[in-house]
Amino acid sequence: MTTLDTADDLPAAPGPALVPAAPRELKRLIKDWRRGRATKTLGEALHDAYVALIGVLMVGAMVVNVVLKAQRTVSQCDSGSCLSARTVLPWAGFAAAVAVALMVSRLFGPVLASAAEGFWLLDAPISRAKLLGARLVAAVVIAFVGGGVLGALVSALTGSTGLEVAAWTAATALSSAAAVAFAAAEQGVERTRATHALSYLFGLAGLAALLLVVAVAAGWVRLGLGNQVGVELAAVLAGFAVLVLLASLVLARLRLRQIRRTRLLSGGALVTGISGAFFALDIGLARDIVVERRAIERGHVKPKRGQGLGLQAITWREWQRLGRFPQPLLVLAGTVVVPYAADALGMSVLTPLFAALALFGALIPLLGGLRVLTRTGGLARCLPFSLSQIKLASITVPAILAGVWAVLTSAAYRGFGDGAESRGLLDATLVAVAAAAAGLLAAVRWTQAKGVDFGAPMVSTQAGALPPGLVFNVFRGFDVAVIVTAPMLLGLSPFWSLVLAGITALLLLNSLDADSLRARQAEQQKELERQRKQRDAERQRKR
Amino acid sequence: MAKRTTVLKVSGLRRAFGPVTILDHFSLEVRTGEAIALTGRNGAGKSTLLRCLVGADRPDEGTVEVMGNAMSETSPQIRRDVATVIDDLDFFPDLSVVEHLDLLARAHGIADPDAVVDEVLEEVQLVPQSGQLPGTLSSGQRRRLALATAFVRPRKLLIMDEPEQRLDTEGVRWLAERLKAERQAGLAIVFASHEPALVETVATRVVELGAPRG
Repeated sequence: MTTLDTADDLPAAPGPALVPAAPRELKRLIKDWRRGRATKTLGEALHDAYVALIGVLMVGAMVVNVVLKAQRTVSQCDSGSCLSARTVLPWAGFAAAVAVALMVSRLFGPVLASAAEGFWLLDAPISRAKLLGARLVAAVVIAFVGGGVLGALVSALTGSTGLEVAAWTAATALSSAAAVAFAAAEQGVERTRATHALSYLFGLAGLAALLLVVAVAAGWVRLGLGNQVGVELAAVLAGFAVLVLLASLVLARLRLRQIRRTRLLSGGALVTGISGAFFALDIGLARDIVVERRAIERGHVKPKRGQGLGLQAITWREWQRLGRFPQPLLVLAGTVVVPYAADALGMSVLTPLFAALALFGALIPLLGGLRVLTRTGGLARCLPFSLSQIKLASITVPAILAGVWAVLTSAAYRGFGDGAESRGLLDATLVAVAAAAAGLLAAVRWTQAKGVDFGAPMVSTQAGALPPGLVFNVFRGFDVAVIVTAPMLLGLSPFWSLVLAGITALLLLNSLDADSLRARQAEQQKELERQRKQRDAERQRKR
Repeated sequence: MAKRTTVLKVSGLRRAFGPVTILDHFSLEVRTGEAIALTGRNGAGKSTLLRCLVGADRPDEGTVEVMGNAMSETSPQIRRDVATVIDDLDFFPDLSVVEHLDLLARAHGIADPDAVVDEVLEEVQLVPQSGQLPGTLSSGQRRRLALATAFVRPRKLLIMDEPEQRLDTEGVRWLAERLKAERQAGLAIVFASHEPALVETVATRVVELGAPRG
């Protein structure tokens, strides 16, 4: 038997030696194919994406409206503590933007590639660094723009001067971009610990800044900040961010060739799934994809036996799930500061709404059990209880946490900052409970919302054909928060908010049972139709 | 011999999608200890019929009764009696294989859930995967987990849509023996299948559904 031990023993390949194409040539080739086979212009594609565009416009208009109103309110406060607190708030926005940039980078890559690119291009004998260079730049640019928008919004919200808004916009934009570049440099050597640790660190810094806002407003801390301190700090942070950005970009660019295909493709698959969900304005589905991805990353857990029988078993599992993934508790704890900070900034009237919205966002991750049990009927069908009972058992743990949250935030409504609205103990407690109920119910509504049915007959509008319920789908959750807190925003007793919360709870906990009611109604209609036909037939026979 | 009682009664079931009638006045009665195999080519209406039987789809005409009660997906009584394995089963992304089974057994009030769960886990050969989260399971393992959910809980009627899907040869053999034993123990079973060996071993009656009519 003949064996070939070394490469020298291999027979020479016939014909001329093969020269791989340059990455630029391949990219140009693919671009030509795409352009040549495109059936739509960019304008037409944007027109087809009107569903997502309308959603963005609606939410954007709502955000701008809230910012303008809040800015008008905040800019009226003129006490020393309020002014100091206003100066500190952009620090929290800055830290939060960097934390989010690091977290999102770790989730997606930040450098990623689609499945097709992975199969056709990444396996080719060409430098990956040249193929992926544009992706790295795109990720950094997206972070720059996103960070800039957030920085501008927060600093505008505090009624800052134009110079301050510009300084914080630049600092937040550059720091977010630097965070993404840093995460990309770490991705190149397959490290995530530093990115992970920094995201927590900046999250905590944001929380500390919010606490400082509260402490200043309460008079516990005197900052004595000068008029220019905000601009100076922003300039220092921006300068440091530029250094980190440049160093990280160079490192990331050098390490691009080392990134494994699997790591690039998993981020690409995640983006594909999420973008599909966003185009249908199904934010719940987008979140499901992220949650599933995190669970897959974890892969294996130490199994724990349950406790109790019947509905108790469901509630007990919720506690266990929370113990297994406790991160949402940190976010929930962080949101306790929101009503105090809002009150400190002189927004007493809007504080219940801000508190409800913060709790709404913080409770969504804690309602994972409800989400799984209501998104398809399959799992709920395996359980021997009515849907209302299943829902109640699933939301027991978040409801208890919302109750604790209400207790911890009740002091905020007693009149915290200078010039804030003062309330008695009972009244403040009722406001806190009503705001917590609004946040909880908003999260329940968001969690159990069904995606828009694109198979149903479309509604004709001036913007084109829209599936029914699309517009309402965007506001799901927000609507409940606004409706329940509306009496308090209008200066009425929180008792009315609690009444509205009770009615909303009844509707939400029976929402799926409404399907069976509709089915029963349809059955009755069918029966009436059958009887009518029978009568007609009898009449015909008599004639 | 124990008297056989009617578990499932289907009368005059009709289901159409637009102009295509999938099921037309379909009737069926299943008693304890009976296993009905639904066969027929793709699109014959097997899955549609099963979805109507479990309440996941609504027939245009006709009635479905389980233990004498009109079928309602939301009725706790029916959920207690009917175990289903159809394609819309969902899993908690953060609960492991064994925790899913433990939750179901406890929710149904099984007195000794640990013993039942361990036995079923062994049987479906998912012991090594007991701590895995569902997202990391292969399609075959997910199928075994779906089947296990039907066996860790009390049941009077078992409805399954192509239970042999994604199972290996050994798995199909195990499933056939398990369903046969279930049937002999008095369980009523309705299942759709393309696997002749499974149909032959389990079914007491075969109902062949026809092609859709225009």
